[in-house]
Amino acid sequence: MQVDKQPKLTGKDQWVVLKRLLCYAIPHKKSISFAMLLLILTIVGSIAGPLLIQLFIDDYLTPLRFPKNEVLTIALIFIGIQVFIVVVSYFQLLRFQRIALKIIQQMRIDVFSKVQGLGMRYFDKTPAGSIVSRVTNDTEAIKEMFVSVIVTFLQAIFVILGVYIALFALNVKMAFMSLLLLPLILIIVVIYRKYSADFYQDIRERLSQLNAKIAESLSGMGMVQAFRQEDRLEAEFSAINEKHYRAGMRNIKFDGILLGPAIDLFYAGAIVFVLGYFGFLSLESPVEVGVLYAFITLIGRLFQPIQQVMQRLSIFQQAIVAASRVFKLMDDSDMEPEQQEIEHAEVQDGEIEFRDVTFSYDGKTDVLKNISFTAKAGETVALVGHTGSGKSSIINLLMRFYEYEKGDIFIDGVSLKAYPKAELRKKTGLVLQDPFLFYGDIESNIRLHDQGMSSEEVRAAAEFVQANEFIEKLPASYAQKVTERGSTFSSGQRQLVAFARTVATNPKILVLDEATANIDTETEVAIQASLEKMRKGRTTIAIAHRLSTIQDAELILVLHKGEIVERGSHQELIVQKGLYHKMYLLQNGILEDVIE
Amino acid sequence: MKVLFRLGWFFKQQKKQYSIGIAMLMIVSLLQLLPPKIIGTIVDDITAGELTSTGLTKWLVILGVAGILMYIARYYWRVLIFGSAVLLSRTMREKLFNHFTRMSPSFYQKRRVGDLMAHATNDINAVQQTAGMGVLTLVDSIATGGFVIAVMAITINWKLTLIALIPIPLMIILTSYYGKLLQKRFRFAQEAFSNLNDKTQESISGIKVIKTFGQQQEDIHDFTNLSNDVVDKNLRVAKIDALFDPTITGVFAISYSLSFFFGTKFIIAGDMSIGDMIAFSTYLGLLVWPMLAFGFLFNIVERGNASYSRIEELLSVVPDIKDVPGAIDAKPEGDLHFDIDEFKFPGDDRAALHSVHFTLKRGETMGIVGKTGSGKTAILKLLLREFEGYKGSIIYGGKPINQYKQQRLRESIGYVPQDHFLFSTTLAENIAFTNPKIAVEKIHEAAALAHIHEDISGFTEGYDTIVGERGVSLSGGQKQRVSIARALIMQPELLILDDSLSAVDAKTEEAILESLKQTRTGETTIITSHRLSAIQHAHKIIVMYEGTIVEVGTHEELIDLAGKYKEMYDLQQLEMLVEQGGEG
Repeated sequence: MQVDKQPKLTGKDQWVVLKRLLCYAIPHKKSISFAMLLLILTIVGSIAGPLLIQLFIDDYLTPLRFPKNEVLTIALIFIGIQVFIVVVSYFQLLRFQRIALKIIQQMRIDVFSKVQGLGMRYFDKTPAGSIVSRVTNDTEAIKEMFVSVIVTFLQAIFVILGVYIALFALNVKMAFMSLLLLPLILIIVVIYRKYSADFYQDIRERLSQLNAKIAESLSGMGMVQAFRQEDRLEAEFSAINEKHYRAGMRNIKFDGILLGPAIDLFYAGAIVFVLGYFGFLSLESPVEVGVLYAFITLIGRLFQPIQQVMQRLSIFQQAIVAASRVFKLMDDSDMEPEQQEIEHAEVQDGEIEFRDVTFSYDGKTDVLKNISFTAKAGETVALVGHTGSGKSSIINLLMRFYEYEKGDIFIDGVSLKAYPKAELRKKTGLVLQDPFLFYGDIESNIRLHDQGMSSEEVRAAAEFVQANEFIEKLPASYAQKVTERGSTFSSGQRQLVAFARTVATNPKILVLDEATANIDTETEVAIQASLEKMRKGRTTIAIAHRLSTIQDAELILVLHKGEIVERGSHQELIVQKGLYHKMYLLQNGILEDVIE
Repeated sequence: MKVLFRLGWFFKQQKKQYSIGIAMLMIVSLLQLLPPKIIGTIVDDITAGELTSTGLTKWLVILGVAGILMYIARYYWRVLIFGSAVLLSRTMREKLFNHFTRMSPSFYQKRRVGDLMAHATNDINAVQQTAGMGVLTLVDSIATGGFVIAVMAITINWKLTLIALIPIPLMIILTSYYGKLLQKRFRFAQEAFSNLNDKTQESISGIKVIKTFGQQQEDIHDFTNLSNDVVDKNLRVAKIDALFDPTITGVFAISYSLSFFFGTKFIIAGDMSIGDMIAFSTYLGLLVWPMLAFGFLFNIVERGNASYSRIEELLSVVPDIKDVPGAIDAKPEGDLHFDIDEFKFPGDDRAALHSVHFTLKRGETMGIVGKTGSGKTAILKLLLREFEGYKGSIIYGGKPINQYKQQRLRESIGYVPQDHFLFSTTLAENIAFTNPKIAVEKIHEAAALAHIHEDISGFTEGYDTIVGERGVSLSGGQKQRVSIARALIMQPELLILDDSLSAVDAKTEEAILESLKQTRTGETTIITSHRLSAIQHAHKIIVMYEGTIVEVGTHEELIDLAGKYKEMYDLQQLEMLVEQGGEG
């Protein structure tokens, strides 16, 4: 289980993050204004209700005077307002949700686009799980903020404003005194915020420790049992569980002291206060009981949104932390290598030249040292060598997955860096060692996102690489579902689909990383035949694990520790009796004369 | 509601907490009835001009005291009821965890870690909700709701009460229905989110393919479509979620309108006072929560019941392998006689082992070689008693291994598995896994034997270096050597190295084997390996092929035999040459 470290944010950092977050709301200005208007209307309506009742009590009920028309008007207005609130508040709630969802969608698309533009270096140093977390989970935490926190904050502000306006309209003196409530409420909110941040952080950490412990124990149970550590593990778990429990209890007690019960206590105090004021006032001069009723009802309305705000402070805190992580990714500068484009540079023949290329992933150890070779147009160059010899690095550079500094690579005499990216992608086709199939069906895996490709073209490509034979035997043929990276297909079948996918784009240059995984003999034959067909008329750079597949290559480069140690055709290399010769014997199981 | 009975054992255990907690809740619901009544009385006194300052002061003091009492009671029922619920989740989690530690390997083969995690988190959460919110909503809806209605009916006007209550069932039905709908739609929204998650995961894993085909824009477009679906599904949730507030407002507005309309009539008729009216409408406000709680209750309990069943099902699984009655409570020592006529893994028709017979004398080292799937690991799994149900016998120290207590058998065996699993704690703790209190020197000694001491000393934090995702990531070879040290520290009677030198270079391998030879003179060792150099010096080597022994002997004997072993040996010699760049 991935546990991301929580960055510690200062107040200022938090403010910067919040501002940047709110920028995402700017495109929705109009929509937000409208939703706010609806929000204000519902609040006005909900305040008007008690006021109407006050009017009714003081002007009609107390004197027991019921002129039909006037009372009917009041009743109709009251009912009208209620219907209005019900309808408008529904649309207001919905609209805020829609805006929040849209904002998060935009943010997700932005993060995802950013990720797509990052260079392979970033993917090497960052675990996939943590990138996924940024795109989905962190943005989800931010969504909670937009969905529930911001609206609640706005609502609280408007309700407080509205209630006080109404109170002032009813009784200026009493309203002034009620203003005293505000600093009291503010104090409790500030205290709550100060401590709750720590408490919530604590319980979240305890929870993640708890879950990490369960996850680790479940995966390592074999070891625990083999070494008879069940009792110790149980004790350790019990201790973590206990700490989590204590944190939970602390939270309940803390919330109990400052949250719900405290707000209710405030409300009770406010009632005592209002009743006392009006009561003692009535001893001297007559008071309107309707106003008393309205005061009590309206002040009651103050407390609900405040409690909601307090409950949601922790969501807010989490969202800010999540957002700071998301923004960190968005500000990452490990981008794809840049092209210094020459306009209209086009790959014509596909001649490839590596000239004195030296390359290092980490800037310390060179994985390629002074690599020079030429693959003439239409010819095949095979790369052989042990794991870590540098074969894959050559391909990585040719595919522009990584930037190189020393030496240069040319296609048709023009530096690789000078071609527009799209041109390179169009003219070079790469087949990976472990062919990656996407969720979808066979056809979509051959076509990928190229909607311009017809079904006929897809089939033609599959036929060309002889993938059609196995595809047509599938129950749904080309529409056969591909799930979980194609795990239902054999690696040979996946390889064939990947071939078809590459052939379909008709590249000038073919880059092959041969599969090492076990391929059943039946598919193996098909793969060999299609490889041969694919290479015709294309410049091919191929990593070969099985030497039998590249015997007809024009040039074979034998790599060892980043250097080309042998080069030549199959025949030449066999005669040399060097490393290639030994590899050849090994693969063919010929053992005589070698070991002494 | 069934789940509340099923949780009876816990309520009984927490009898005191729950009864005091519920009593507190009742006190709150009773005290809550005071303010409206007092407001009504004061209003009536004001209109009648009968209010006196002492009377007023008395009422205000009562109100204030009631407020403080409610604060206290509210605090305590939270601590008692919610606290008990947290305790329940702690208890259940511990029960489940302890159950997990007793389960046999086959249990883990059948279930995914992710699913087990879900039970330990989500299901326990739902049960906690039942014991907390479930109890709260039950008490609140019945007690508070009941008290408020009773007071309205008895002290104010029973006719008006009935009239005001007419629309309430509508709210209960609607909100409960929304709750159900919400759950369903929420699931869809979660699915959409998890699709988006999968898509992101896939794009990142397949980033090379996407880059190769220059289809970043198209992939972003695809992502956008999926995120549209997320928005749609969430909006469908919002459409229901946004219904709650307006419905409550609407239903209570009807209630208010009805009560004012008829209340006015009663006032005109002289059956009620204005103060009564105001008190009545305040009481009505107090009914919102209990009625809402009534709707929630069903959903909480339903979810809790399903989760509780899932947990109980898991807890009812019995381990496959148990100690026999009267099992030997002694550590097995001595010679090992392995006589298996046939063994099949559960659910597999093919025999994993057939006619495998060998004897290993105490103090000897045996090597097992063979391809993947030839039966090497099956032999070890039977020795470790991870599986049973074979034809034949395994005698260790004169007794069949299943006659010993499992714990005692494991005490004799130091096992180093293929997939070296280290815990995310310090290196020292990983090595001292079997005995955390062991002397530091012993840890260093074991590490030195496994030739990892120097590597560890090279780390800035030394033996305190944390391993795993949150710490240093070790190379495969280093991990293997740490797991070897972990097994060596217990000085096992029988050491099993299951292909656990594969990622270690040839020189280190030789050094480790040499130190094993030096220190383990009286104890038995079994080594399986792909690489023959690891078993070359064993007293006895068996060559496995398709589940049975095809060749037995020492290295020299097997080379002379010129069979499978010799073939493997020659190939590996050549392979080594190639790895070294041809200049062997």
